[in-house]
Amino acid sequence: MIRRLFFILITCSLLATSCSTKIVSTNIYQEHKEDLDNIERRYEKLNPTNQFSLAFTDKKFNIVSLEMITDTLTRIYEFNVTEKKLADTLIKYNYDTAGIYYLIRKMQQTKVTWINSFDYYVNDQPQQLIILSIKPVTIRYIFSPPKYVALAYFRTAQSFDEKGRLLDNRRTKQVRKIKDQVFYKITDRICYTITDKYR
Amino acid sequence: MTKQGSDICVIKSNNFHLPYKPVILLFLFLLSKEKGIAGNLLSEINSTKKEALEFIDKIDRSKENSLWPNIKPKLFYDNLKLNLENPGSFYPGRSTNFCAYGALSYLVMEKDPLGYVKFMNELYDKGEAMFNNNHFKPSTAVMKAAGTLKFKGVLDIRHAEQMWFLVLADKFKGYLNFFDKKFNEGDENSFWAATNLAKFDRMVNKMCGVHVKAVGSDLIKPWVKDPYSYLSKRIDSNTVSLYINNRIIHKKNHDKIKFSIPTHFIILRQISKENDMITLRYWDYGGETQMQVSSRTLKKIIFGIITIDK
Repeated sequence: MIRRLFFILITCSLLATSCSTKIVSTNIYQEHKEDLDNIERRYEKLNPTNQFSLAFTDKKFNIVSLEMITDTLTRIYEFNVTEKKLADTLIKYNYDTAGIYYLIRKMQQTKVTWINSFDYYVNDQPQQLIILSIKPVTIRYIFSPPKYVALAYFRTAQSFDEKGRLLDNRRTKQVRKIKDQVFYKITDRICYTITDKYR
Repeated sequence: MTKQGSDICVIKSNNFHLPYKPVILLFLFLLSKEKGIAGNLLSEINSTKKEALEFIDKIDRSKENSLWPNIKPKLFYDNLKLNLENPGSFYPGRSTNFCAYGALSYLVMEKDPLGYVKFMNELYDKGEAMFNNNHFKPSTAVMKAAGTLKFKGVLDIRHAEQMWFLVLADKFKGYLNFFDKKFNEGDENSFWAATNLAKFDRMVNKMCGVHVKAVGSDLIKPWVKDPYSYLSKRIDSNTVSLYINNRIIHKKNHDKIKFSIPTHFIILRQISKENDMITLRYWDYGGETQMQVSSRTLKKIIFGIITIDK
């Protein structure tokens, strides 16, 4: 019985491994470079005034989850992008409504499913990076997990090892993980990872 | 951004293996806890923020200690002061499994801020200390790790909180920690730090010395007909903590089929209802969050309701 169970487990693992989700394009960043950089720049401009993050929670990019972040309270709302309530809420809390609508449209077009900023510390000093996740076209098998491409935009040049892995800093060889993921070099300040969660 | 990571206290199945049948049976038995009451084992402790601040002002805050090689004294004592001045500032860090210890910190700071700061100071000085008759003597690995956690948001520079969360996770164990009891690098994100409902109740009871009543379990939702009424009846006279499946309200992928398991501990601050929409205001990760959910979603996300005497 145990031997049979073991055999089934091995077979299932092999099937799961061989049938893992495949991302069709191998060069998403270069294909959408202008749009992605534009989204990042736009978010970087909008975010400092009133902090927020945006996520599309449905596959068709119609439902947007908006997190409005202040020092004391984070408000989380979910709207259909065509709903008037979205604009009303942005106006109510003094957000740049036109700017955020532009960002939402660009995210829909480029299939960017999430954008947020992260704080991290170098020599105990705060730094920020922007992460955005893209929902790529994939070939997916039953039981295989979804795949997303996450891009991290740093403000300054970062260090990478010979395999292109993001490092903690120039002096150490320690790989820096963001949300438990290893990131790989695209440019000096942009890197990517493949993940099964968009945030 | 400081408010991050509200769904990162997630049980990560890739780090966990259940090789034996009896273990699975034991696991299911442990999960079957539907209602638990932890008695008032100790007399209730109360101290004030003023007393705690007076205590910390008298401490030499520049002393280094080789027992904690990576703790920077300035960051440590600044962090303790911040915890006292703003008890809601505790931040369990991005991608960690510290959310239960974050909720516990909130409760400890409500009850005994002086006890907290005395305990942390003694732990830093001697490498061991007592809190409410619980003896803490962390492992060497934990003592080395405190001060080294990186890329966890503001937790990176909060050395007292790093020490506090690691020491709590090192001390309190539940069945989720059965296969990973010894700390290794990166274990703050793994099953080593995970907390199940019974362990949370036990920690609150032992650390705060208060009466804890819990309904629910780790797999089966509580048999509460109307969670809104249940919660609103209790929230004024008690502190209420919830054990929820955060993946439903904080989606991480577009799959429609999701495992129905609890992933996160929060402290409920306010609850109100308008038509069928319930507005929840809760504390987690260093700040409050407000969101609206339907009655159906509320019922779907709650796995444990922990009522704690104020």
